[in-house]
Amino acid sequence: MIRVNIADLKPGMVLAHSVRNHQGVMLLGAGTKITKKNIRIFKSWGVIDVSVAGELDEPRAAGEMPVAEENEAVEMELKEKFSDVMADSVMVEIFNAASKLLMKDLPKNKNAKKNSRP
Amino acid sequence: MQKRTLDLKRIVSRIDDLPTLPRTVLKITELVNDPKSSAKDLARVITDDQILTARLLKLVNSSFYGLPQRISTVTGAIVLIGFDAIRNLLLTTSVFDLFADRNKKKQQKQEKFWDHSLGCAVGAKVIGNYLRYDNIEELFVAGLLHDIGKIVEMMFQPHEFSKVVAVISRENILMITAEIRILGYSHAEIGKLLAEKWNLPSKLVQIIAHHHQPNDAGSFAMEAAIVHLADIFCRSLNMGSGGDNKIPPLDRIAWESLKIQTNAIEGIMETMRDEYGDIRSFI
Repeated sequence: MIRVNIADLKPGMVLAHSVRNHQGVMLLGAGTKITKKNIRIFKSWGVIDVSVAGELDEPRAAGEMPVAEENEAVEMELKEKFSDVMADSVMVEIFNAASKLLMKDLPKNKNAKKNSRP
Repeated sequence: MQKRTLDLKRIVSRIDDLPTLPRTVLKITELVNDPKSSAKDLARVITDDQILTARLLKLVNSSFYGLPQRISTVTGAIVLIGFDAIRNLLLTTSVFDLFADRNKKKQQKQEKFWDHSLGCAVGAKVIGNYLRYDNIEELFVAGLLHDIGKIVEMMFQPHEFSKVVAVISRENILMITAEIRILGYSHAEIGKLLAEKWNLPSKLVQIIAHHHQPNDAGSFAMEAAIVHLADIFCRSLNMGSGGDNKIPPLDRIAWESLKIQTNAIEGIMETMRDEYGDIRSFI
C-alpha cells in the first residue's frame, strides 16, 4: 500500500482504503479503480492524499513535492490549533518545537499519521 | 448558577450508577494504604486475579521500567517497583476497562481520548523526570486520569455531550469552553466527583479537578502544573484527541513556578514523543 498525494494520483490506480471527505462521508470505496473523474471529485473535496494498492517504488521519484506539501499541511493544522494562544512567547516556543518534531516524523514514518487524524 | 448546582447534584446522584473499580483493585488500594501490610499480602491478592497478574508482569518487564533482568514473580515485581507503583499500575489498566464500550463509533472516540490521556501521562512523566520529581509514577497516573470526566460525560450524559460536541465542531473552540457555556460545569468537576467516589488519593483528586487552573490545586499546585503543561505538549504533538482541536492557554503562574528553561522544551517534547511510541506498542 502506498500513500499518494492527490497531485500524483493517476487513473487506473486501485484504492487500498476508502476515501472520505472532511466530514467523514465516503467518496469512493476501497478496491475501486480510480478514474479521471474520481480524481477531480477528490480535488473538489479537498482530499490531500489517498492510499492505493501496490509497493513503494517509482512513485518515490516524484516524492519530493508531496513531502513539502504535507509539511505545509501539518504546519497549517498546527497553526489553527494554536491560533488563540500565540500571543504567549512560551506557546510560540512550544509551537516551534511541535512543528519541528511533527515534520521530522513525516517522511520516514507515515503510518504514525493515522493517530493524528482529527 | 442555579442550573449548574442542580445539574451537578443530579450527576452526583447518578454517579452511584457509575462503574466501580474491580474488587481486587479496591482491596489493593486498601493494602497499600495500610502500613502493616507486607509484599506477601499484596502478592496474594494480585495472584488471585490472573489478568492483573499478567498485566503487572507485562508492564514491569516493559521498556517503561527498563529493568536489567526479567521479573517473573509478582513478589519480585512488588519488591522492585514498590507498593504505590503497583497500585498505580493496576489502577491505570483497570480504569479504562470500566469504560469499554461495545458501540463502534463511541469506541473510536474513546480510543482517541485514551491516546490523548496516554500522551499526557507520558508527558507528565517526562516533565517530572526533567524536574527530578521523586514520584513520577504518580504523575503518570494523574496524566492518564486527568480527563476521566470527559469519558463520564460521553457515556452517562450522551445527550448533553452531543450538544457540546456540536458546538465544538461548529465554532472550533476548546471543550472546556463549550462545556461551561452549555452545561455550566466542566469535565474537571465531573472527574473530581468520580475520583472522590473511587477514594483516589487527594493528590490525584486535586490534579484532575484543577488541571486547567493549576494554582487552585492547593498543596498539589506543582503536580497540577505539570499535568497542565503535559496536556499542552501532547495536544501540540497530535497525540490522540482531547475532544477538540485547540490548544488550551498556558497558565503563566504555573509555568513560572515550574522553572523550566525555554530551550529545554524541544528536548522534553522529543523524549515524550519517543516514549509515547514505545508505550503505545505494549499497553
